[in-house]
Amino acid sequence: MENHRRRWIWVGLAALLFILAALLMFTGQGDDAAIAQEPSVEFPRRMRSQDRLRADQRRTFIMPVDAGTRAEGPPRPRDPVLAALPRGEGHTAVVIEANAVRNSPLGELLMDCLMRDGGKPLDEFRRVSGLDPLQDLDRIVITDEGLILSGNFAKARFKELLGERTSADYGQGARVYEPGAMSVPLADGGTMRGQMGSSVGTWNDQMMVVGRSSDSVKTVIDRMEGRGSDEPPAISENSTYGEMYGVLGVEQMAKILAADQPELAQRLRDVAQNVELHMDTRSDVALVAEIRGPDAEKVTDLGKSLGAALSVARLKAQAQDDKTLAQLMDFARVEPDGNSFKLEMAVPIDVIRERLAWCRQPPDTTDAGQ
Amino acid sequence: MKPVLGIAAYVLREAASRKFILAFLVGITLVLAVVALSLRIEVIDGALAATRLFGDVIPTSIRAVDVALRPVFKAAAFIVFYGGIVFGIVACSDFAPGLLSPGRIEHLLALPLRRWHLLAGTFLGVMTLALGGTVYGAGGLTLIFGVKTGYWTLGPLIAGVLACVGFAAVYAVMLTTATFVRSAALCAAAGGLFLVGGIIAGFRQQLSRFFEAGLGRNAFEAVTLLLPRLSALAMAAADLAASTPPQIRSLGLLLVGVFVFGLGALVVGFWRFEGKDY
Repeated sequence: MENHRRRWIWVGLAALLFILAALLMFTGQGDDAAIAQEPSVEFPRRMRSQDRLRADQRRTFIMPVDAGTRAEGPPRPRDPVLAALPRGEGHTAVVIEANAVRNSPLGELLMDCLMRDGGKPLDEFRRVSGLDPLQDLDRIVITDEGLILSGNFAKARFKELLGERTSADYGQGARVYEPGAMSVPLADGGTMRGQMGSSVGTWNDQMMVVGRSSDSVKTVIDRMEGRGSDEPPAISENSTYGEMYGVLGVEQMAKILAADQPELAQRLRDVAQNVELHMDTRSDVALVAEIRGPDAEKVTDLGKSLGAALSVARLKAQAQDDKTLAQLMDFARVEPDGNSFKLEMAVPIDVIRERLAWCRQPPDTTDAGQ
Repeated sequence: MKPVLGIAAYVLREAASRKFILAFLVGITLVLAVVALSLRIEVIDGALAATRLFGDVIPTSIRAVDVALRPVFKAAAFIVFYGGIVFGIVACSDFAPGLLSPGRIEHLLALPLRRWHLLAGTFLGVMTLALGGTVYGAGGLTLIFGVKTGYWTLGPLIAGVLACVGFAAVYAVMLTTATFVRSAALCAAAGGLFLVGGIIAGFRQQLSRFFEAGLGRNAFEAVTLLLPRLSALAMAAADLAASTPPQIRSLGLLLVGVFVFGLGALVVGFWRFEGKDY
């Protein structure tokens, strides 16, 4: 009888345990939608189909046949911006895909900051220049010679702004303004005059070139119209991927590093030949820098030093309980490949969103904390 | 408690006399020795700079050593978890049928102990064996990578303990099966079935979408609700081994849940064993 009763106790206990187990497992595993997934970042490592399509669509300019170019078969359309870039090794040329960045999650966050006070500075710029940078600007190129802007500049008020300067037509559809006075019409009907030390060139309402002198602007226009050197541009079409891309002269890169890592900056000068950059902002902000040099062994050693520097930075962030920075450094790595290596770093968009949260608050509540 | 420990010790002696178990331990030792002797890791300021296996450079990226070792520890955790359970199913399937075999069971029942002590002792003995093997393997791996890289983590060891809890649920089912059918093959089959069921149960949310809404999906969800979520536990173990946060709501609750399932299965065995005539 006692055995019979004990058996029923076992049955009851087993049922209870199974129900308890089911409850615990159900609660413990949770609903997968509610659980934060480990962040993952897609790095710009090669041209993707959308990048190829974009590059194809930008081949719009056929160089004139009498422009000094060798005629080898039928003329091929080219991207005028790429054609305008400096030629040969050692130059700096970084392209920012302004329109793509504007329409990326990062761009949305930056727009929040820009429009925080109702977008008054932007409206003022639109009024003065006749341009809407959010609509009309396509690419911004920063080179060691100056600035190149591409987009739709048909509505730009170049003549009103730069009309007092000496200017002349140049090449096919270009106009070059010498450095000199600049007059800005004010909202009250008056005019503000100033001096601008840069020369400005415009080209077919599609491009604007800012340089130190009219000669440097003309050099850019010459390259664009096929009168420049036969060397390939600083950025080849195959490298036009990401929302920011280009090449940095080693000296420029070393200057950036010199403040915090003088030894590393010097090693970079000694070892590297050029640095190619690609940044993707389509979801998170991911950066890939490819560093090349003539000596594979020295380049690999430099890669190891950079990897170690990143590791130390990560350990420091962990020691200081800076979880955000430590998480960012999780993505940092160096990929050696013979006489080059790729340095990858990323900032998840959620981290940027968190950092720029003040942009989404009314100005008066956050001014003190900025 | 003393009789349970006595039976557990008896099971361990029985295991020690088996060449299969000894071969397993020798196998783990050999793997650890090969890893220790053939792997060369260069670490600079906490970054994994270069790796050589049998003298050949393995193409890897240079990054923080703990981040670089994450896939290694994750893979090791999965091997320990699933490999350990499969080995346990095969190696331990005839412990209980052997214990319940004619001649031996009468002798054991004549001892001053309760019937459930026999099953609980067998369960405890096998789990001690599993825990020992796991700690040896995972601990050895942790030690080797710790010495070679200077990065010390308890992750793989904790993952090993999680694997033992997963095996506890499976072995409890096998032990209970032995009280119904005294067959090593059927015990192993029951263990294998629950292992597969446990893997499916861990993915029940994703898999239920493949069933049409209605009776089929409800039945699938009801059955998998009760099964131990072994794949979820395995993934949590891999995350812990890699020192990354587990992608589940509460590891503690899941772990206790799987263990409580094992206890439930074991109690069914107690119920069956109490009512059986020998």
